[in-house]
Amino acid sequence: MNPSFKFLLALIISIELSLKTSLTTNLLVIVFAVVYLLTQKIKFKSLLFTLLTPLIAAFTIFATLYWFAPQPNLENALSLSSRIYVYTLTICCVSIKTTAEELARSLEQNFHLPSKFAYGVLAALNIIPQMKRAVKQIRIAGMMRGVYLSFWSPVLYFKAILVALNSAENLAQGMESHGYVEGAKRSVIVAVSLKTSDWLWSGVILILVNLALFTLK
Amino acid sequence: MIRTNQLSFSYDEQQKILNNITLEIPTSKFSLLIGPTGCGKSTLLKILAGLYPKYAGKVSGTVELDGLRSAMMFQNAGEQFTMATPREEIIFALENLQLSNDQYQDRLSAATKFTQIEQLLDQKITTLSGGEQQRVALAVLVAMDVDLFLLDEPFASCDPEARQFLITKLAHLRDKGKTIILTDHVLTGYENICDYLFQFKRDNVTLLDEASKNELLHDSQQEHTYTFALPENETPCFVLTNAQVEQNRILLKQDHLSIIAGKTTLITGANGVGKTSLFNVLTKMLPYRGSITYDKREIRNQTTRKYLLEVGQIFQTATDQFIAVSVEDEIKLSLKQAKDSYFTEEKIAEMLDYLDLGQTKDQVVYSLSGGQQKKLQILLMLISSQKVLLIDEPLSGLDYESAQKVMNLLHESQKQRHQTLLIISHELTNLADWCDYHLVFSNHYLTYSNK
Repeated sequence: MNPSFKFLLALIISIELSLKTSLTTNLLVIVFAVVYLLTQKIKFKSLLFTLLTPLIAAFTIFATLYWFAPQPNLENALSLSSRIYVYTLTICCVSIKTTAEELARSLEQNFHLPSKFAYGVLAALNIIPQMKRAVKQIRIAGMMRGVYLSFWSPVLYFKAILVALNSAENLAQGMESHGYVEGAKRSVIVAVSLKTSDWLWSGVILILVNLALFTLK
Repeated sequence: MIRTNQLSFSYDEQQKILNNITLEIPTSKFSLLIGPTGCGKSTLLKILAGLYPKYAGKVSGTVELDGLRSAMMFQNAGEQFTMATPREEIIFALENLQLSNDQYQDRLSAATKFTQIEQLLDQKITTLSGGEQQRVALAVLVAMDVDLFLLDEPFASCDPEARQFLITKLAHLRDKGKTIILTDHVLTGYENICDYLFQFKRDNVTLLDEASKNELLHDSQQEHTYTFALPENETPCFVLTNAQVEQNRILLKQDHLSIIAGKTTLITGANGVGKTSLFNVLTKMLPYRGSITYDKREIRNQTTRKYLLEVGQIFQTATDQFIAVSVEDEIKLSLKQAKDSYFTEEKIAEMLDYLDLGQTKDQVVYSLSGGQQKKLQILLMLISSQKVLLIDEPLSGLDYESAQKVMNLLHESQKQRHQTLLIISHELTNLADWCDYHLVFSNHYLTYSNK
């Protein structure tokens, strides 16, 4: 499916489900998301990770609403905590087969998002590994001079921010030196296709979710 | 003709980087800009590229590009890429130029063939070596097919073969009518290729006449031969046994090697062979397999904090070394940790003057020029007085005079304090005469060489 459609679909479903409580719909979405992830051959380890990490948040919400609320309501507690899984799993369905590059390109081409925004975010994502390495190197550089920079040390963050600011500035200049002009027209070399089936699938999924949302409890 | 008229540039009110420069640079020619570090060569290129004053500083005077479309390659090529891989970066650049898919296919294959980066196209740029990144940066400019190539030290991390290859390629571009303007500190390989040589000297830029240009370029063309000793049963500092280092691909696979203590060992090898990664392994930034010991103890088992007070690395990029903000604070920080009395306050003041850094004491380290940062960085690490220093390209970005001074400083400190120095350098003048041993890194293997 078209990356932007996938992304918007996940967004709409998440928003709808956070406005109206329906435990059954939540569970249906969760089950379908897991089945989809399995058909996309998600690694068992990653699946376990995506299922276990939100557990902390989900459990906290459940505990607050069920054990510590003045009028505990099991269904309410379950439906609110299962929302956490709706959010994480739907986004997981988007990200499993879509790279950041594809999504940015698609948003630019299919939804006419300003290219400044699309490439700005992409460039920022590409800086992340650079930042990770930079932080490691800053700590090593510190230790060589007898300065131990712990993970909460202001100096570490000061340096890291300097590195980030510097990279951001260089990046802006780098983009410009490679012909990028803000607001100018760009051609499309790698086209992201938008097929009728994308519209159909999105429509069907949305109708089903809404049917479930408004008929099931 | 590219013209600048009464061109001045400054970052702040106090100091002018360029002062009333009036220049004529012929088009469709190969022009080389030379001069000491911090003289404003990079600044001039950025003004020609239209990046300054948009991104920094103030400009007065005029610049005419004669209608040429220009693109620039930065000193630190790695900072110039928006996308993750070379192929995506080329697509990004060509989309900016509003080219069609067909044009892209042609330009891509032409540019990759021209710079020979076929095997790098789909690798992550962050995993490429400095030299490979420079090659990719050139490929992007070739694909963009601009008229004016502005290149800021494009071969700083290239080995001699790669350097010669790229210079020849640039000459081909010139023959096709492109204008090449580049800065460099090393003059080898330009003889019979460079058309015009511009020399920056104290606020002034002069075009050398044909005779002095040829003389200058010819002198640096002389091939030097160096001889080195081979180590015999001396006390080792590092010992590698069945050591293996990997980073996306195998970099090092060494059954046995001893690196001698208290001596200076030069390490050379092609771009991307893994020289910097080796240093990163020795300072515990990268993992390794097998055994690498320092002073008979396994490196991975040592407490990082203690270990790094004995083994220090002088990074390729000077700013990576800085911890404090001002030059003075940096020096104080290093001095606090100094374990011997080699550097006294007076000696440091003297050294700062010697390196032309005397006036910069109150400056923010990040506002120094690239060359000044390099000199300060090396001084700081010498003050820190590690027993072992791993020095990565100490001469890159330094002009001849500064390079000589830095070498003197390193040599003197090594002699007096018997430090173990490991030096990676592509630039051997000033350096090779006093290094004790020479390790050649190729095919995942380090071997001592007597040449």
